[in-house]
Amino acid sequence: MNPMLNISSSPHLKDKQTTKFIMYAVIIALLPATAAGIMVNGLRALLIVAASVAAAVVTEFLFDKACRRPDTWKDGSAAITGLLLALSLSPDVPLALPVLGAVFAILVVKCAFGGLGKNFINPALAGRCFLLISFGRTMSTFTVDGVTSATPLAVLRSGHAVNITKMFLGTGGGVIGASILALLAGGLFLWAIGVINGEISFSILIAFTAVLALFGGQGFDPKFLFAHICGGGVIMGAFFMATDYVTSPVSRAGQIIYGSIIGILGALFRIKGGTADSFSYSIIISNLFVPLIDMYTVPKPFAFTKRAIAIREGAPILPFWKRIPRPVVVLTVISAIAGIALSSVYVITKDTIDEQKKAASAASYLIVCPGAVTLEADETMDQAIEALNGEVYGTSYGRVRINEAYVGKDASGNIAGYVVSVTSSDGFDGNVSLAVGLDPEGRMNGIAFTELNETPGMGMRVDEPLFKDQFSGKMVDKFVMTKSGEASAENEVDTVSGASTTSGAVVNAVNAGLDFFHSTVKGGN
Amino acid sequence: MKFTFHGGVHPEGHKDLSRDVPLRLFDPKGEMVYPLSQHIGKPARPIVKKGDSILVGQRIAEADGFVSAHIYSSCSGTVKAIEKRRTLFGRLQESIVIDNDGQFTPAGDFTTRRDISGITNEEILKRIKDAAIVGLGGAGFPTHIKLMPTEPESIRFCIANGAECEPYLTCNDQLMRMYPDEIVEGLELVLRLFPNAQGVIGIEDNKPEAIAAMTKAAEGKEKIKVLTVKAKYPQGSERSLIKVVSGIDIPGTMLPAGVGCIISNVGSLYAIQRAVCYEEPLYSHCLTVSGDAVQNPGNFIVRDGTSFAELLEASGGLKEGVTLKKALAGGPMMGIAFGSLDVPVHKSTNGLTLLAEDAAEKAAENMTACLRCGRCATVCPAGLVPQRMAEAIISKDFDYFENELHGLECFQCGSCTYICPAGRPLMQEFKRAKSESMIAKRAKKEGGKS
Repeated sequence: MNPMLNISSSPHLKDKQTTKFIMYAVIIALLPATAAGIMVNGLRALLIVAASVAAAVVTEFLFDKACRRPDTWKDGSAAITGLLLALSLSPDVPLALPVLGAVFAILVVKCAFGGLGKNFINPALAGRCFLLISFGRTMSTFTVDGVTSATPLAVLRSGHAVNITKMFLGTGGGVIGASILALLAGGLFLWAIGVINGEISFSILIAFTAVLALFGGQGFDPKFLFAHICGGGVIMGAFFMATDYVTSPVSRAGQIIYGSIIGILGALFRIKGGTADSFSYSIIISNLFVPLIDMYTVPKPFAFTKRAIAIREGAPILPFWKRIPRPVVVLTVISAIAGIALSSVYVITKDTIDEQKKAASAASYLIVCPGAVTLEADETMDQAIEALNGEVYGTSYGRVRINEAYVGKDASGNIAGYVVSVTSSDGFDGNVSLAVGLDPEGRMNGIAFTELNETPGMGMRVDEPLFKDQFSGKMVDKFVMTKSGEASAENEVDTVSGASTTSGAVVNAVNAGLDFFHSTVKGGN
Repeated sequence: MKFTFHGGVHPEGHKDLSRDVPLRLFDPKGEMVYPLSQHIGKPARPIVKKGDSILVGQRIAEADGFVSAHIYSSCSGTVKAIEKRRTLFGRLQESIVIDNDGQFTPAGDFTTRRDISGITNEEILKRIKDAAIVGLGGAGFPTHIKLMPTEPESIRFCIANGAECEPYLTCNDQLMRMYPDEIVEGLELVLRLFPNAQGVIGIEDNKPEAIAAMTKAAEGKEKIKVLTVKAKYPQGSERSLIKVVSGIDIPGTMLPAGVGCIISNVGSLYAIQRAVCYEEPLYSHCLTVSGDAVQNPGNFIVRDGTSFAELLEASGGLKEGVTLKKALAGGPMMGIAFGSLDVPVHKSTNGLTLLAEDAAEKAAENMTACLRCGRCATVCPAGLVPQRMAEAIISKDFDYFENELHGLECFQCGSCTYICPAGRPLMQEFKRAKSESMIAKRAKKEGGKS
């Protein structure tokens, strides 16, 4: 008989899902999104993915060697970090960025804190936020079909409708891993094989949707909610980043609390925040709560719960809702009532507000269309606007959209002028909307702002006659900006000192309006 | 709705290897070894000496003290020695060694059914005690003590445990299929002791034949019903089955009788029937020989004291070309690994699992840092958070381990270790911590005194 049998404590069986299995399952789940990103964005995206993954794995390998630690680079966790980082980057970033981000993520966030299982925030997200803070402008530049443009989320923030189908398929611009369809497929695959349990992902989505519906100011508008869920990395965050085991709570209750915090923060940042990357931050902030959540959500053993003790002692068992602490019930009811009230006020007053806005716009329109008594729709212009489908207008005006256009008629029904309403999303603080007024010949009557939220004393000064009146009475195809006080030619406009961003947005908006007018009305004639 | 408990895992059952092999009585040839401690409690005291001739069913050692059990010979022959022999726990232990003459001559009449119509409760208990029946589910607690709670009226459920949730093991399945009436009668005898109790036979839903046989045997018996429970490990553990039957979660500090439950393995109930109706002592029980290394897996009625090596031989030996890596007394989830097959079968050994591949070894080789995935907390049938318990042990915070995390509630089913993707030896750590925490406590107490 063989005397050297193995001796060990029970159990002598093991589940098939090892650390390696889990890591490679996550990588497989990310492959559809990676493939979609490469298909949409081309070889460039592949390069970024390769650079990021390679940088992450090599960094971990070198760290292990330098510190004489066991080889951990093979377990797949570094590759996941690299891949997630790449998928959350724009396909246009220089190759140095993913490399830098991956090195930061692995070296500083992961290895410096003790390697796998010890990092306190998600390394991929930390890498991304590191890049966002360090290279803000480069990071948030996106091109679609070779044209610099806003991501769908930035568009959504600016209050415009977005193409949800494009967002869902990932063909509407944005980061490499923008295909919601592919991400969802991967996420559900992980859920199906039990790598993620759904608690975190679904509490994020539920909390996010609920807060947006209650406080988003648009009520329960499925299109609005769906666009928000599809944009800004919510799906990637909910299924791949927030579910990172290391930086999420262990117990089920903790996971639900954690998911809800992410969802609520993410939604609040969307509603009130100033950046489209808020979801990354909401996950990172929630990561920091995890030790606290873990501490307070150690579940009672089954035999120690109030219910189990009551059963043992033959005492009456309180119904579930009576066992919830009272303050929780009270606060939940209060916030639900407040939220419902807020959103119903919005729904009730929506039509009135829209009418008021329309009336206010109409008043502005009439100002820049002197002589007109009524504003009428024009078939040619309406068709042209419809053809734009809410997309960015032209290629040289930045993020400018044409909202509407009217023909101004005088009392006897003759054409008194034209009004084109334009919005630029390139303002210093959000949108700049204005009406461009033209006489029948195409001479500028002037401009009137319908939406302006710039800095008082700086950007707001574009609304002063000194700047605004420069457009009036001019017959040009395009305005050009000059530095203060040097405007001499008819098409030159002096910028407002210290507010070149706002001035630029205004000039671009006016130019877009002019171009629209020339190409539809003039060109059509 | 399937009846089940919180948590648990689904290891591959491998029951098809042996589930349809009927039980057969195995008569060993070599010497028989009877360790004096095969139960919980004090070791028995030998009442034979070297050279005595012995018959099957003859008492060879007496219970010593209240929590103890007699030991009976399972063969006929002469006492060869009373000496220290190695047991499956690896220790050397005082044992009676009998030279088996291969005749198996019985010491008394174990085949004529006694008239038990007028039997008193005291007589039932006495016969169970004399037969030296211990819990055959694994722990080996003397059954007659279990059947004498302070308030017999408070017992509401007498549970027959036929769950058999351990992978590979199928002997209880076969026992229920072959002797359902005997098991039901055993349960009826136990129910006589508890006027207010309901008899429940819990069987996992992966044993349809056993469920059918037991249901048929229990037909028309008002106080007995068969409960089909979900196949999930550790369904057969005392606490899990009590939870399923009565809805009560019992803490580790309480005995089942404290919540009105008496729970016995179906093998023990069969033994009770034999003891009461035939006055046959417990010297054999059912056992499965299985595993991926064995040629012909099967189910046996095995005599105590038989060497595991002989059992393997009786099962056709090892598969050709297979190297045995691990031998387990019991199933792979809670079984005890032992170093050499030349040790005797204990009263409560219900399986011999022979594995060519050692998953525990592989897990140790591939161990990574804890990922904090939380699976251990999901599967823990006691509702603990093994991940945090392990952290507390690393920081030697036994106070937190015991009082906040209720670490002593762990009943060592091993589900957390089974599921851990990082391959961490969680349950083993808890076992160690349990003793270390006790030592620390004792030291504190003694330190306080001086």
